[in-house]
Amino acid sequence: MAGPELLLDSSIRVWVVLPIVFITFFVGIIRHYVTQLLHSDKKVDLEALSDSQVLLRSRILRENGKYIPRQSFAMRKHYFNNAETGFFKKVKRKVVPKNPMTDTSMLTDMMKGNLTNVLPMIVIGGWINWAFSGFVITKVPFPLTLRFKPMLQRGIDLLSLDASWVSSASWYFLNVFGLRSMYSLILGQDNAADQSRIMQDQMTGAAMAMPPDPNKAFKSEWEALEIVEHKWALESVEDDLMSTDLNFGTLFSRDIKSAAMF
Amino acid sequence: MNTIKKYVFYCIINVRHAHSWKAHDVAMASVVKREKMASVSEMYDVGWEEMRDKLRKWREDNCRNSEQIVDVGEELISEHASKLGDDIWIIYEQVMIAALDCSRDDLALTCLQELRKQFPDSHRVKRLSGMRLEALERYDEANKHYDAILQDDPTNTAARKRKISILKAQGKGTEAIRELNEYLEQFVGDQEAWHELSELYINEHDYGKAAFCLEELMMTNPHNHLYCEQYAEVKYTQGGLENLELSRKYFAQALRLNNRNMRALFGLYMVSTSVRSMSQSVQQTG
Repeated sequence: MAGPELLLDSSIRVWVVLPIVFITFFVGIIRHYVTQLLHSDKKVDLEALSDSQVLLRSRILRENGKYIPRQSFAMRKHYFNNAETGFFKKVKRKVVPKNPMTDTSMLTDMMKGNLTNVLPMIVIGGWINWAFSGFVITKVPFPLTLRFKPMLQRGIDLLSLDASWVSSASWYFLNVFGLRSMYSLILGQDNAADQSRIMQDQMTGAAMAMPPDPNKAFKSEWEALEIVEHKWALESVEDDLMSTDLNFGTLFSRDIKSAAMF
Repeated sequence: MNTIKKYVFYCIINVRHAHSWKAHDVAMASVVKREKMASVSEMYDVGWEEMRDKLRKWREDNCRNSEQIVDVGEELISEHASKLGDDIWIIYEQVMIAALDCSRDDLALTCLQELRKQFPDSHRVKRLSGMRLEALERYDEANKHYDAILQDDPTNTAARKRKISILKAQGKGTEAIRELNEYLEQFVGDQEAWHELSELYINEHDYGKAAFCLEELMMTNPHNHLYCEQYAEVKYTQGGLENLELSRKYFAQALRLNNRNMRALFGLYMVSTSVRSMSQSVQQTG
């Protein structure tokens, strides 16, 4: 249903579209600084740190083991994987499941996260909905189905209006996600105004943290190490070296730079 | 004839005068110059920004040219402190460590006091004050400092490493090795520590264990020709036919990684001749 091409009043552009952009932007920046002020240092657990380094070492052994002699590799593999005395077999960490409700530090973190991110979004979204209601702002460049109408056209009850015409609330949400790249330009990477990243973190937060199950990580590392074979990279290195020219041509032609400071 | 002689005589006297005058003036000038020469910026004709960038480059490359750092840093701190802004704190740290190296206690103390004023509760600053005590050979007090840091934050690697270096400075090699082993059991990924341990083992002539440490380093940095070369040298020192063959392979690898490594080239030559003479003697006896 190709709707009529509406011509919007240009004052909409000046007084609605641009203000919403600025509001979203500045609220984001304020959010960033507030988060920094409320930020509390996380205490690192010694055991968790040590475990992560051990896993890193095992992974490096798997990937770069071919650079060390066969016997050394076998020695290390034995240290990790031996049926009785291997590290991955012997060490079982006590797993304390972190209940979000009772663990105080996680609770405060969650509350702070909610306060700084969700609350402003709701408040400002609601205010914009109330303040700029009753007219369409812009047209999205792609056609939408009728199902999107109630969502994107709050406060406008025109049955025949194309669903592509959206109201201010949807423009606000578009801005929230769209200004992410602007924030990284101005505030640098890893800024707290980046809401979508925070939401991602909340979803995958439990899965990413090591404490929930180092035992599982150990087990998977054990399996991976079991199947690795040692193929020594230096088997034929002398022949390779002898077959190519050592290229000493330019070795002494460059001037030795003096040890001056500047 | 007389006038010519007089003239010549006159010239000679004048020249001699000029010489002596010049010598005296030169002496005066050098006294003045000595006071002027203290200024790095005038010697090399650089501005304060270049000095600051040079210090940053030295910081990033981890250079240990302490005398140069002290010269440049001292001038930067004393004359351009206001222009540096927030950079000044890390420059204080850098200059302080360099001053401890050059035994400039006055400069070190000034830097430390400034840092303490700005960051009163910082572990990093506490570690620096511990280092100053170490430089003054007050090892027990330094140890107490580090223990305090570790009580507060058991994961602080810097304090633990300083304690180990105190043991090393006191000459207790075996204890240092033991502590470093315990440290490495918990922080397996610390490459600096592995390298230090290999050095300690070499000092104790325990080449097998030193080789183990170097293998760790080679695994984490497979493209670093220096670790290959050090490993090959340790294997060569260990002796025995298999070790020599291993050593030859690693010297070759070091050369493949960097064909300008003269030490590796020489090592390859030495190992090859040793292997040859060894296999010859084996042939003769066997």
